[in-house]
Amino acid sequence: MMRRSFLTVAFIALAGALAPAIPAAAAADPAAMISNLGSRALEVLGKDATQPQRAARFRELLREDFDVPGIGRFVLGRYWNTATEEQRAEFIKLFEDYIALAYATRLAEYSGENFKVTGSRPDADGAIVSSQILRPGGAAPVKVDWRLTGRNGVYKISDVSVDGISMAVTQRSEFASVIQHNGGQVQGLIAMLRDKTKGAAAR
Amino acid sequence: MRDRPMNVRPIRLVFFNLFAFAALVLSGCASRPSTEQQVTAYEEDFNDPFEDTNRKIFEFNQFVDRNAIVPAAKAYRTALPDPVRDSVHDFLNNLRAPMIFVNDTLQGQFESAAKTVGRFVINSTIGIGGVVDVAGRWGIPFHEEDLGLTLGTWGVPEGPYIVVPVLGPSTPRDLGGQVAEGFGDPWNVLVTGNPWTLYWIPYVRGGVSGIDQRSRYIETLSDIERTSLDYYATIRSLYRQRRAALIRHERENLPPPSGFSQHDDRRSFGALANPPARAAVLSETANVSEVVK
Repeated sequence: MMRRSFLTVAFIALAGALAPAIPAAAAADPAAMISNLGSRALEVLGKDATQPQRAARFRELLREDFDVPGIGRFVLGRYWNTATEEQRAEFIKLFEDYIALAYATRLAEYSGENFKVTGSRPDADGAIVSSQILRPGGAAPVKVDWRLTGRNGVYKISDVSVDGISMAVTQRSEFASVIQHNGGQVQGLIAMLRDKTKGAAAR
Repeated sequence: MRDRPMNVRPIRLVFFNLFAFAALVLSGCASRPSTEQQVTAYEEDFNDPFEDTNRKIFEFNQFVDRNAIVPAAKAYRTALPDPVRDSVHDFLNNLRAPMIFVNDTLQGQFESAAKTVGRFVINSTIGIGGVVDVAGRWGIPFHEEDLGLTLGTWGVPEGPYIVVPVLGPSTPRDLGGQVAEGFGDPWNVLVTGNPWTLYWIPYVRGGVSGIDQRSRYIETLSDIERTSLDYYATIRSLYRQRRAALIRHERENLPPPSGFSQHDDRRSFGALANPPARAAVLSETANVSEVVK
């Protein structure tokens, strides 16, 4: 039984994280980019949107704001090296589908909780932006860190950590487990992702 | 808490904890991965040598969760309005203050220890015995601390991942800490060491705590389960990362100067703490020799 208080807020944070596109020009300031995320998530993924609409919009945002190929490569870990070009390409595509399906539903719960950016510092590949989600009743705020990778002045999100839990690390650990249980074959993971995204799309 | 003899042994807790420990040790022994290669692969990624058994216990726990714990948590949520449940939660948190204080102190986190005392005094009085988290509203929020985390800050390795029946994800270090806290908790000592028959109180407290915690994550956990490819592996990663983050004290956003001095305090204190530090050194040596082999 999980008895830690991070999980509920983890997904509120993710809802904010997996938020809409900002014009490339505005993305030059990492802190501003992150502080815009929450409100834009609300705008684009309105309460009236149907589930497929939400998933479709969400995927657009994902492509624009997140370094999906970079994250995909990271979560595959050492298996990236053993995968063929075809497997890599299919994996990245399925991974995007998977994230869109997994997190789009969770966005419905996001209602604009108190979210504020508390700081930003340069990092080897870009920047790390710290933020907090305030909670009622005197509970400690949830600390959310955003790892941004900058290329040509455009920042994209490469990881989100909620109270010290990295979403990318969690995903990598899960995928590694799936691959190991499929005899070390990336193909096993690809097949499961295909099943999962197909099943979810039909729903 | 005041003048109760501290040497009275809470026998029933002993049995309960021993049972849990024996069950996990026994079940763990049965299923080491057979080939050496496999062992290496598992340990470097997950440190989960008892994975087969862990997965079976995990499945059992999910069965219990679906059929007993979640229904109870849902009933609890339906039966009681938000403010009442918040009060229960705050009350339970307040009961944990003594052990949190001990752990703050053992870690050399004296500022946190002072905050814990402040919270306990404020919430027990103005907060009417802890049912209102007044201190939290005044800017001293609750913080998590337990013996497993203390051992972690002293450098004791967590050990292999284990899934404890009913209680869920743990490690030998964290479970050991939990068992020891069961003995040391002043409230447990108080109610099990008296002439009245109040030994059941720790169980009720444990049960209510469990329902309280579970009721907060009903949707979140079912969502994670639904979208996971390997729910077991996801929970394992979440548990480990969360514990590691609490040991790093990432949430303490300390300004640089006091941050440094606090860190030094902690280190020098850690060096003084002899048995755990020795244990850490020993097991680190063991790890090294393992690798060399």
